[in-house]
Amino acid sequence: MLDVKETLVKSPLTCLIVDDSAFMRFHLRRMMDSFDNVIASEAANGNEALREYGRLRPDIVLMDIVMPGMEGVETVKKICSEDPKARVIMISSVSYQEKVAEAMSAGAKCFLPKPVTTEELRRAIQSVLTPTTDN
Amino acid sequence: MRLDFVKIFVDSTAVLFRELIGPAVDVPSISMKPSPVAGREVMAIIGLAGEAHGRVIFDMDLFTAVQLAGHMMGEPSPGMTPLVRSSIAELASMAIGRAISKINDGGMRLRMSPPTVITGANLVSYDQCFETLVAPIATAYGEVRVNITIQDLD
Repeated sequence: MLDVKETLVKSPLTCLIVDDSAFMRFHLRRMMDSFDNVIASEAANGNEALREYGRLRPDIVLMDIVMPGMEGVETVKKICSEDPKARVIMISSVSYQEKVAEAMSAGAKCFLPKPVTTEELRRAIQSVLTPTTDN
Repeated sequence: MRLDFVKIFVDSTAVLFRELIGPAVDVPSISMKPSPVAGREVMAIIGLAGEAHGRVIFDMDLFTAVQLAGHMMGEPSPGMTPLVRSSIAELASMAIGRAISKINDGGMRLRMSPPTVITGANLVSYDQCFETLVAPIATAYGEVRVNITIQDLD
């Protein structure tokens, strides 16, 4: 179970899933729905993600990298320049060291290679929600 | 043909299939063909660019695609729905993304396009001019052929 009691966010936890793949949005939403007290929204590309992030200000973002148009790393840069406290978890099939470093320097807090399990996702969300001295 | 890369593509695909579908995944033989043999009802195509170029085509029967997607979704699908097409695209994307990550960690720079899935009867690939390595991957739901063409830039 995802425990958000000791985190920085109010309950329920809000999440924006960004992936051009309908299957991945379906899969991640089902994982998020298996956690208690989570509200998930979706975006299918970078531009939609920027619009939805501005509208919803979700507690966390799950972001793909390879997308048509504005790809994930560029989208993260824009989200984080608008909101430096954004908590973005990258979830991508492309996970070579340089790309991971690029995503993290763009502002992502965590990187998960696909395929991701429910347990890996739960741990990643808890890690980005855990208060640190940086927060 | 970059056979060193081809091995990474085939191994990554087989390992991913075992993770997602189960251990009953086998690559019985790999052969070189003058062009892709992809001609089944479902094709997922991913382009490769960067310091080498080419494409990978996954092809399979409709039954296999629907069953694989049902396994990935955790529920059976009634047929070739948009979500099944997306599942097959994602399967191909994860396999090739993983291979590209290994290749790039070795010092090369390759990029992949988002996958395109084509469905229909009597599909034929018209990439006639490239030698293609064809790896049939046997799964519990039927065979998925991986047609790989990758060459260094001239």
